[in-house]
Amino acid sequence: MARGLLVYGINHHSAPVELRERLSVPEEALAQRLGELLEVPGVEEAVLLSTCNRVEMIACCVGDVSRGELLHKALLADSGVTPELAEPHAYQHTGREAVRHLFRVASSLDSLVVGEPQILGQMKDQYLLSHGHSSTGVVLNRLFHKSFSVAKRVRSETGIASKSVSLASVAVDLAGKIFESLEGRTALLLGLGEIGEVTARQLLSAGVERLLVANRTLETALELARELDGTALPLERMAGYLPLADLVIGCSGGGQLVMAAEVSAAVKERRHRPMFFIDLAVPRNFDPAINNVDGAYLYDLDDLASVANENKSSRRREANEGEVMVEQEVDSFWQWFEGLELVPTIVELRESVELIRTTELMRTLDKMSLDEESRERVDQMTRSMMNKLLHSPTSVLKEAGGSNEETGLLSATRRLFGLGDPEK
Amino acid sequence: MELAFLQLAATAYLVSALAFGAHVLWSVERAASAGPLLLGLGFLVHGLSIAWRTVDSGLVTVVGFAEGLSFFAWLVAGAWLVAQRRYSLSVIGAVVSPLAFALTLAAVILFTGARAVPAELMGPWLPVHVSLAFLGNAVFALAFAVSVIYLVQENALKSHRAGSVLNRLPSLEQLDRVNFTCLAWGFPLLTLGIMTGGLWASAYSGQFWSGEPREIFSIVLWVLYAGLLQLRFTRGLRGRRASLATMLGFAILVLAYLAVNVLPVAGRHGGGVLS
Repeated sequence: MARGLLVYGINHHSAPVELRERLSVPEEALAQRLGELLEVPGVEEAVLLSTCNRVEMIACCVGDVSRGELLHKALLADSGVTPELAEPHAYQHTGREAVRHLFRVASSLDSLVVGEPQILGQMKDQYLLSHGHSSTGVVLNRLFHKSFSVAKRVRSETGIASKSVSLASVAVDLAGKIFESLEGRTALLLGLGEIGEVTARQLLSAGVERLLVANRTLETALELARELDGTALPLERMAGYLPLADLVIGCSGGGQLVMAAEVSAAVKERRHRPMFFIDLAVPRNFDPAINNVDGAYLYDLDDLASVANENKSSRRREANEGEVMVEQEVDSFWQWFEGLELVPTIVELRESVELIRTTELMRTLDKMSLDEESRERVDQMTRSMMNKLLHSPTSVLKEAGGSNEETGLLSATRRLFGLGDPEK
Repeated sequence: MELAFLQLAATAYLVSALAFGAHVLWSVERAASAGPLLLGLGFLVHGLSIAWRTVDSGLVTVVGFAEGLSFFAWLVAGAWLVAQRRYSLSVIGAVVSPLAFALTLAAVILFTGARAVPAELMGPWLPVHVSLAFLGNAVFALAFAVSVIYLVQENALKSHRAGSVLNRLPSLEQLDRVNFTCLAWGFPLLTLGIMTGGLWASAYSGQFWSGEPREIFSIVLWVLYAGLLQLRFTRGLRGRRASLATMLGFAILVLAYLAVNVLPVAGRHGGGVLS
């Protein structure tokens, strides 16, 4: 029976988030799920991958495996989702397709945001978990290690991850083009919108030292300020603090809060040290004319989004190069995998010895004048010699199937008996 | 040999400029390291050319327009090399390499070969004066290059155009700081250049100041840069305006140099290629 690779699962392309949520596998349930998977007849090795964007199983199987049982054991389990509901959203890849799929996932080519770095870490963690539960063997170990190195190669040799695509990180990048470093800077956050908070957090982790939170209701500002180790102030007093701020983030629902003239005065008071205004509010918090003030730089939501989009399309261009790399690596893995194939090797071995037997038999019999019965006996004798000679190597190979010895023995057999090299 | 090295250097500067352009403007990743490498290489080969002449004539002297251009270009490339090592701002080479190329090309075209310094002009102050004055100019040229990059980057930021240029160039603050550092080095060099020039002149003619055009231009330049530094310290002048002022200073410097060397004006600084 031939050994095959199988990927089975759902992801953000194939299934809505409600379904992905219900099917995601909590870490503590992983060991049990893997154990059950390995009990499915034909499944030799398995890894479960569960992130917010995908739940999928990668398995190395022998012979035919029941799709229904896999669906149940790998994905549904006790989630309460019926096969009828899940089946239309599930995809299945086999053979080379399965390898390609895994390499693309690891390289973040299959991600919602192409080039995002988290998926590789998640894959490594979950592979290690599966490995820890001994559900992986020669094939999946090699497949996963290979997929990690492919991902590294794609990341380092293409620009797939070099540019930010989220609004907050685009804002942080832009700040880095104005200020030499964000260390020791002060950021002023107007309002408590979620996107503003995300941006403030990213700025803080990029080195911003002081955070001022200004809000109409001081209590809620105090709450966030306490959480982020900042200072809260009422919105009315914000103008007085403006000259202190290197970065000003607007995400207040209060409409236009800062005018160009105020900024002009603030910049002067700051002895012309630059100010960066990030307007994340709709309607906008900052007077568009602020951008014309010397030393002040204003980006609103649309400006940030257009930078993010430009970066996204640049990532997509780079992704094409990544696909080419993946294709090369799939080829090289597949060569190895095919070389692993036990059954073809045994068949080939028998065929090659059989060819020698019949050739030599014909040559000898042609020179002798034997009757039908004697010819039959000689034929029989060579046949049983062949079977006895091949018995031991064949059974050793069969026993070694799936073990760590397998690869070595297969290649030894191929060399010793002069079989065609599958790598060529 | 001197000319061959000079031509080789000009070629290296040209290819370097093309590589910088390909990297900064058109995002050709493979050209990223070629620009700085070729500019450094050009500097070395150019150095050989100058060493050749120095050995031939015996002193660091710059006699004639072509030699002046060549020496100036070499020092500008050298100043870039120092800044690049100190601040890892190799992208300034995008302005420095075409500048070095243009100057060296002019030096190749106008090349005359080594000429003896008129005996009456020789003296211990001559090489000191020449070196300091040219070094000061080279540092101002670097400040000019940094200012150009600053304005390009500022324009990219203000116009909300992201893309290649914005991503390749350093932060405004860093550019502004390097600009200031260049002025802080260039100004004392200029001052020393003027003073040693005066000392040399008084040793040779007994007059510290003779009022020839080059001297007047130098004083104008000195006042401008002094004012620029003063405003930086007292009013916090920086950024775009400081860059524009730096560029204006360099424009006057270039005009003065060309005027004194190309136009038929009398004096010890050239005497005019056209005369």
